[in-house]
Amino acid sequence: MIELHGVTKRFGQVTAVDELSFTVRPGHVTGFLGPNGAGKTTTMRIILGLDAPTSGTALVGGRRYQQIVRPLRHVGSLLDATAVHGGRAAYDHLLAVALSNGIGRTRVAQVLELAGLSAVARQRIQSFSLGMKQRLGIAAALLGEPPVLIFDEPVNGLDADGVRWIRMLLRQLASDGHTALVSSHLMSEMALTADHLIIIGRGKLLADTATERLTNASARTDVFVRSPRASELAALLTARGADVTADDGGLAVTGLDAPTIADVAAQHAIAVHELMPRQPSLEQAYLDLTGTSTDYRAADRASESQASR
Amino acid sequence: MTAAQIPATSTPAPSLGARARDVIAFEWTKLRSVRSHYITLLIAAVVTIGTSAIVAHAIASAPKSPPAGLSALAASFLAYAEYTVIPVSVLAVLQFTSEYSTGLIRTTFVAVPRRWAVLASKAAVVGAAALVTGEVLAFACFAMVQALLSGRHRGVSLAQPRVPGAVLAAGFVLCACALTALGLAAIIRHTAGAITATLAAVYLVAGLCLFLPSPWKDDIGRFTMAFAASQVIALHPQAGLLSPWASMLVLVAWPVGALLAAGLVISHRDA
Repeated sequence: MIELHGVTKRFGQVTAVDELSFTVRPGHVTGFLGPNGAGKTTTMRIILGLDAPTSGTALVGGRRYQQIVRPLRHVGSLLDATAVHGGRAAYDHLLAVALSNGIGRTRVAQVLELAGLSAVARQRIQSFSLGMKQRLGIAAALLGEPPVLIFDEPVNGLDADGVRWIRMLLRQLASDGHTALVSSHLMSEMALTADHLIIIGRGKLLADTATERLTNASARTDVFVRSPRASELAALLTARGADVTADDGGLAVTGLDAPTIADVAAQHAIAVHELMPRQPSLEQAYLDLTGTSTDYRAADRASESQASR
Repeated sequence: MTAAQIPATSTPAPSLGARARDVIAFEWTKLRSVRSHYITLLIAAVVTIGTSAIVAHAIASAPKSPPAGLSALAASFLAYAEYTVIPVSVLAVLQFTSEYSTGLIRTTFVAVPRRWAVLASKAAVVGAAALVTGEVLAFACFAMVQALLSGRHRGVSLAQPRVPGAVLAAGFVLCACALTALGLAAIIRHTAGAITATLAAVYLVAGLCLFLPSPWKDDIGRFTMAFAASQVIALHPQAGLLSPWASMLVLVAWPVGALLAAGLVISHRDA
């Protein structure tokens, strides 16, 4: 369980994280989404005690990270897979990290096996691809068999196999009751992995919701219609109170459902070649949310500059 | 907010001693697992002993006795004072700056959030390694230089009073320099800057004092590492400077000061 209470982080004039409060619960993969620069990494660094928040508190398992004794046994994290010393062998890197928290060599061998790195364990890390470094970072995070996992962009640099591996691993850990917070700027990846989403933009919380509810809540459900007599049909539908716009050689209709549209067409003997109710993609719902935050900030800036005049 | 607590059923809290052992094992594993560390030490040892041999040979074959101010004992440490002190200080600097430049420092601070503990462990490991290296090379240089000089009856032996202490002190000088370097590196974070600061602390401050007018030269100079080091390894300490024991305190004060400042900085700075 991870809890943030009104966490704010300012770097000089810039507010990277702004009064952020949320709770990450066990048993779920929680996606932590936002455009680049939204404050995801800063938030994770605050949770891990690397950066001190300007105000507010971040708790892991009810405690500040710095207060946890042998923290790797409680929280596993991967912030930056390239943050390793290239001259050290993978095994030695993991062994050093393990020893720091009183974890033995057997477990080091286990996580190497789990990450599929046993064969290259004695090689120096500088020969590793980014994907192998990601696996090494995840192996390090799993060393202490922690109940809480925090991964920053773990699929970056991974090939299709690696991406699937992380997805399965996260799902498995979540179903075992682990708490997993996984950041990404890719909605498409999170749509497949996360069952809960926390979305931030410009350091502010935009959404904290189950993944499927995000799409349902969006106002963008519409029906796509293709017809040889499109303009006629559009006029009829508009007369019934629908909103009709041209879309990709057909019509995008909001305000009427698909059966009603089909009935109207049938009554006027208008052929319909395609009739498709559309859920907004998660991607679209995400863009709607983060787009709003950008607009908001732009407006904010304008009023600031006016005030300074 | 139920079940928010970390399960108390896991192993009981380890003792402070066990945790200290863990963190020292962490730092020691990091130090010993990089091959370039050994190569650097090996080159330092070979160059130091090789240069010492050349110096000793030159002194031994000179028609007159050694130049003024250069005792037979001090001659043992001419090469050591640079060819050992510089590479080992750079190694000490890298223990922090390589972690800052790669980002590994965040892994370190996430594994051990108590940053004073990280600093103390690095100091213990680097200090011990430097002390062992220093004593081994100090005695090796002494033995070899005196062997060459004794042929001309210009040498000193470990049986003479003050000599064993001086050689031991020469070994400790390396430890003092390495720990000062470690503290400066934690504060500065960048390799080039930290090496420059270390060389300034070890040599440059003393070098500048040499240009000061007479009373000031010694009054200020005696608090520098280089002047203090020359006092603790001298058979006949200079009168204007601090006594060998007081000079030893100066050699302890530099690393202690650097490490305390480092601890204050890293425990209050975002990593």
